[in-house]
Amino acid sequence: MRDDVPVLSIRGMSKTFPGTKALHLVDFNLHHGEVHALVGQNGSGKSTLIKILAGYHSPDPGTLIELDGEELHIHNTAASHAAGLRFVHQDLGLVHDLNTVENLALGRGFQTGFGGRIRWRAERRDAERRMKALGYQFDVSRPVGELKAAERTGIAIARALHDCEQARVLVVDEPTAALPRHEVKVLFDAIDHVRRMGLGVIYVSHRLDEIFRIADQVSVLRGGSRIGTYGTGEIDQDRLISLMIGDEQMRPPQLRDYAGKDDVVLEAHSLCGVVVDNAELVVRRGEVVGIAGLTGSGREEILGLMFGVASRHGDVLVDGRRVPASTRGAIDAGISLVPADRRGAGAITTLTVSENCTLTDLRRHSRRGGAIRRTAERQEVAEWIRDLDIRPPRPESIFATLSGGNQQKVVLAKWLRCKPRVLLLDEPTQGVDVHAKATIHALAREVATSGCAVLMASSDDAELCDTCDRVLVLRDGRIAADVHGDRLTPEEIARLQLESPIAT
Amino acid sequence: MTSETAASARATAASPRTEPLEPAETRETSSRRARPAWTARFGLRLSALYLWILFMALFSLISPGTFLTSTNFRIVFSQGIVTCVLALAFLVPLAAGVYDLSVGAVMSLALAVSVYLQIHSGLSPVLGAVIALVACVLCGFVSGFIVVRLRVNSFIATLGVGQILFAVVLLISGNQQLTGTFPSFWSKLGNSDVAGIPIVALFLLAIAVVLWYAFEYTRVGRYLFATGGNPDAARLSGVRTDRVVWGSLIASATIAGFAGVIYSMQDGIFSSSIGPGYLFPAVAAVFLGASQLSRRPNVWGTLIAYFALAFGIQGLVLSASSASVWSQPLFQGVSLIIAVALASRPAMRKLRAVQASRENKGS
Repeated sequence: MRDDVPVLSIRGMSKTFPGTKALHLVDFNLHHGEVHALVGQNGSGKSTLIKILAGYHSPDPGTLIELDGEELHIHNTAASHAAGLRFVHQDLGLVHDLNTVENLALGRGFQTGFGGRIRWRAERRDAERRMKALGYQFDVSRPVGELKAAERTGIAIARALHDCEQARVLVVDEPTAALPRHEVKVLFDAIDHVRRMGLGVIYVSHRLDEIFRIADQVSVLRGGSRIGTYGTGEIDQDRLISLMIGDEQMRPPQLRDYAGKDDVVLEAHSLCGVVVDNAELVVRRGEVVGIAGLTGSGREEILGLMFGVASRHGDVLVDGRRVPASTRGAIDAGISLVPADRRGAGAITTLTVSENCTLTDLRRHSRRGGAIRRTAERQEVAEWIRDLDIRPPRPESIFATLSGGNQQKVVLAKWLRCKPRVLLLDEPTQGVDVHAKATIHALAREVATSGCAVLMASSDDAELCDTCDRVLVLRDGRIAADVHGDRLTPEEIARLQLESPIAT
Repeated sequence: MTSETAASARATAASPRTEPLEPAETRETSSRRARPAWTARFGLRLSALYLWILFMALFSLISPGTFLTSTNFRIVFSQGIVTCVLALAFLVPLAAGVYDLSVGAVMSLALAVSVYLQIHSGLSPVLGAVIALVACVLCGFVSGFIVVRLRVNSFIATLGVGQILFAVVLLISGNQQLTGTFPSFWSKLGNSDVAGIPIVALFLLAIAVVLWYAFEYTRVGRYLFATGGNPDAARLSGVRTDRVVWGSLIASATIAGFAGVIYSMQDGIFSSSIGPGYLFPAVAAVFLGASQLSRRPNVWGTLIAYFALAFGIQGLVLSASSASVWSQPLFQGVSLIIAVALASRPAMRKLRAVQASRENKGS
């Protein structure tokens, strides 16, 4: 530790949300010219901490935040910005159709001359200078969408630092999640430049090997508390992983009859997408198989690939028959997908519960001319509402007015009524209350027991262990492990996700 | 470490992004529910009907001798038929979230073809109308191709198609007024009554009933509104959204063709200025109508909205002679803005909710 006054100092930061404590008395020091990594599993409190710094959440009373020794109150995002805190979020917020010069000017405004004319030449020189200061050299007049991912991240950093003299702390949240490995170095050079400008950098990442390359210090959060802060020279990756996971007792293994289910229902062979790389998987009748993986590992992509949402290479088979690579083809083959983005892709929020529910198969309630038998429809929906305990129990309520858990139940109902052979669940309990969560897990098991194959992708390792017979761990687009039986614990899954290719 | 900490870690794992979101949403929902239901149902949902009643009362007082006469009613209703049919044409693709701005031009085409055939061939007007309708179906097919296959935004695509059709119409007519000499049975269809009701009004009613039934009681209607609500989600639910959009554009062109045919019955005269001028009143009626009765574009709301405006305009025309010039664009402009402003209130609320959820999401 250096002796100078830290640029950012947090004392006793707590944050309580209704029902949970997201942060508990966290202390954190960041020095000038230091890259300080913040690591922890999903839900360890990293995001909450950063959101407090950014002014999205206010901390509990008793929290003390100091900037260069002066007490700071962050009531809103403007206060955070005025204090010199800068953020580069995972979604960079660039306009892909505009070029670097224009993107840099967004939010700040252009330099203008007489009559409000934009001084393009000055702007351009300025943009080039600023990108060069971060070690970049590329054509600033090309649309940002045509640039490399690492260059885009650089632009976001340059934009965050547009007023260098005011900026004091740069927070970079998962900057490499969407970056190909070979572009990571370009980004690290940029961060190194920022460090040399004397700013403090908070670096959040799941990729532990990177932390040893870029960070000076690393703080580990677990369950909302800071477990410790270490110099990157005095700790290794294995120790870091066990700190993040905690060295509590392994949970007692859950016994499930894993053998004797030989009928293969779903197969994928050399499945490739944008991230997913030659995935091979098999799900048998009656099995619930989990997919674990960090953000950017392909976990978010793989189910959509099988459902034909995006173009893919490789084969998907149901009951031995090849499934066409289109949504219709997948549905006709008996595949159902409950997507992660419930409001955007799972349902039509402006329609009623009933209309959403029966949309997947309206023919069942249609007369020959296409007229819908509304009584029969209502009756079926009423049954689903009763079976899944959807509230309010009215088929005609508008989907958007339901709570997250009830919305998800409607989305499940609309697929369960199709009696799928294969049920794909993508983050099925995200944004869902505890009660609905239990219902959804029970349903997944029930569906499998009735003879289906269930594949469930989730970022919640505990959920996967509780619900699944086995869990496939994705890493960098590849299936890195197939965990079942005694090894199926959240700790083991977390460890397998975090292990970097270098460590294995 | 005890297993307790593990449990709490897991509890937090789900919470930071969910907990703050859910209560906020429920709160919003319950406050919306707490508002007395009758204001929601009978306040804004029937505003056009109130407007209509207001206009009737107002202008009956101002010009009782002329406004409250059966002749005046006949004029307003018979003048409105073509616009209403055109509005229904616009309504179909709008339900699927697609604009068809070519309806005015398509109507113009149908009229031009009917009149042209009447002048230059010995075909029966019925056959002429059929040919005109086939031409319109083709136009809809081409618009659908451009929107679905070439992935051109429907607003742009149909605006372009409309201009091209305008050119075709000018070519057919040689930019001159065409007067067809239709047999008397044809103009009788356009100008006589059955049991006191104009026959053309029955045409409108027939189209309206068919559309209403299709929207509310058939699979096609469900698919239309699903596509209009969220095309991605609809596609993921197995709806063939491309077909829905394409079909809706063909339907709108066909109905717009009917509007042209009805016009040929009523008037029998073609002039190149006829089609495009009808677009705006039709669009205004559909958008104002979308806030009526239910929360989405609908047939009866459209008709109510149109006639509410039409009676307001007619009242102004009767009470101030100069108003015949300016009252129509004024009314329609104001009503369109008010209608869309009303409709976007819930949309704004939804947008805010989505933004809130975005902020709370992501780790």
